[in-house]
Amino acid sequence: MMSTARRLLLPLLLLSAAGPALAHNPMCECKPVDGGQIECTGGFSDGSGAPGVTLDVIGYNEEILVPGKLGENSKLTFKRPEGEFYVLFDAGPGHVVEIDYADIEQ
Amino acid sequence: MSKAAVIEAGPLRRFWLKWRFHLNILLLLIPLGLMPKYLHEASMSRGEIGLGERELGELQAGQWSVKIAERFDEAPRSDGPAGYFKQFNIALCDTCTKVKAVYLRVGKPRSLRAAGALFSGNPYRMTGIVNIPLKTSPDADLWLTFEDWDGSLQQVSIPLAKASPATVAWLKQQGGKS
Repeated sequence: MMSTARRLLLPLLLLSAAGPALAHNPMCECKPVDGGQIECTGGFSDGSGAPGVTLDVIGYNEEILVPGKLGENSKLTFKRPEGEFYVLFDAGPGHVVEIDYADIEQ
Repeated sequence: MSKAAVIEAGPLRRFWLKWRFHLNILLLLIPLGLMPKYLHEASMSRGEIGLGERELGELQAGQWSVKIAERFDEAPRSDGPAGYFKQFNIALCDTCTKVKAVYLRVGKPRSLRAAGALFSGNPYRMTGIVNIPLKTSPDADLWLTFEDWDGSLQQVSIPLAKASPATVAWLKQQGGKS
């Protein structure tokens, strides 16, 4: 009986390890930090980070206020601009996340 | 006399030893029960029974048009911390040869960079997976953007309520959470 259980164990473990194919949608979160600054963290839903990915802060008039790239820790900190703006995490066409200034707490 | 012959088994044990073999039949019945669903999904993926579960007809923008369909007639699916997503499929028109890319998003895009999900696949069946923010208003529109190779854009919108009633019903349940 014991050897049967052991024989079944490996295939069962392998089966449970094979999860469904995961998409990797982009994600980005921005929060206020000390000194009137905003810290944005980017990544993908498969758990991977996004070091070096473009993150621009753009005014409502489409002027780029802060052209940035995420650091090694997938984060970027910048001074909160005056007026209306949005943050665009841009990992390539179709892989963008847009965050409006109204959704970033003061 | 062999050792096995002298072991006395109880009636339950004897029943189990005699009938356990027939559990194999269950292993055949389980996949059989799931077969119709599997075959339906497979023919949908092959394009034999349309673009998606809910065909939305044609969307025209300038000289171009697409046939569009909601892939699954259901509420958006969660992708963990990235939020909720809906899949739409399109088929490009015959005269769409100059189309470089097609994008879809909730709400009017501010710019081409923020035009939303990019459709990928062959021109007869392209797939786009659109983010549905939790605080989307139920009367929001889906905006489709065509990009020409010369950089010009054509846009058209369709009410979300028409594109996906299941999504609107789901949004109303969420009650404008952020």
